[in-house]
Amino acid sequence: MPAIRPDHSGLAEALRYRVLDGPGVSNRATRKAAAERASGGQAIAASYDDLVRQIGESSHRVTSAQVERLVSEVGSQKAAFEVIVAAALGAGLLRWRSAIKVLDEVSDASAGN
Amino acid sequence: MRLQEIDRGDSIVSHLFISFISLVSRMRLPDAARVALYHKDFFSVPMGEWTQAAMRGSSEWSVGERELMAALVAKWNSSSFCVRAHGAVSAKELERSTVDAALADYHAAPISERLKVALEFLETMTLRPTELTSKHAKAVLAAGVSAEALKDAIAVGAVFNIVTRYANTLDFAIPTADEFHRAATMLLKRGYGS
Repeated sequence: MPAIRPDHSGLAEALRYRVLDGPGVSNRATRKAAAERASGGQAIAASYDDLVRQIGESSHRVTSAQVERLVSEVGSQKAAFEVIVAAALGAGLLRWRSAIKVLDEVSDASAGN
Repeated sequence: MRLQEIDRGDSIVSHLFISFISLVSRMRLPDAARVALYHKDFFSVPMGEWTQAAMRGSSEWSVGERELMAALVAKWNSSSFCVRAHGAVSAKELERSTVDAALADYHAAPISERLKVALEFLETMTLRPTELTSKHAKAVLAAGVSAEALKDAIAVGAVFNIVTRYANTLDFAIPTADEFHRAATMLLKRGYGS
């Protein structure tokens, strides 16, 4: 029996939905804004704007002081964790969508030949 | 670890589990595993499911090749923890010298041409995602990589563009080489599901 292939698109969407649209300690709008900012979107009117931008661009340069400011502003470590993974997810899904788009373009062109 | 709640566990059960595993394994439970135990329903369950599918699901890429892809994505994102963690797993499946050569310069490493072109795609995807065009995908397919295999490689790349970012942001502690080696054995045995 052939092995069942993973449904990567479905798994990516399930992760996106849970982190950005599901319930959490932080509100959905905060998480969505972090995900968009980390994927090149608009600045956030919050003290942690530089942090979520940096998670997208150069996460290895994030400092402890930036994370402490985030915890202070969102009110708890759990809420801060949600914002951090939302930003990381935004950057990762930008890459997922960009790559799948070019793969689909080639696959569609081949199917049309 | 920059969030103390992750370090100690967010429930008595998690705290006891972290303490117990650290005691019996005679090493500090790595921060990646602590994140997997934290706020599980919110993140680590769906993240673990995609990671397990990408790294251990059915694919034309071997486990060692996918772990090498993960290690290189980590290198491009400057995540020391993930480079060492996934380099160690890959080295258990491929030769350690092969992994080291690929981490130094994958173009010159003794790996297959199809893996090299997939890595070229993943490098652009990681560092310059908006520059990806159909030419990049065509180059991979022209080297004999199937569309399904390229999608599998993209999934590995996407997952580790997420993992490396929170690993860096949370400042994962770096275990010793021996501890990475032992953790790699566990990752091969148990996989990534939460």
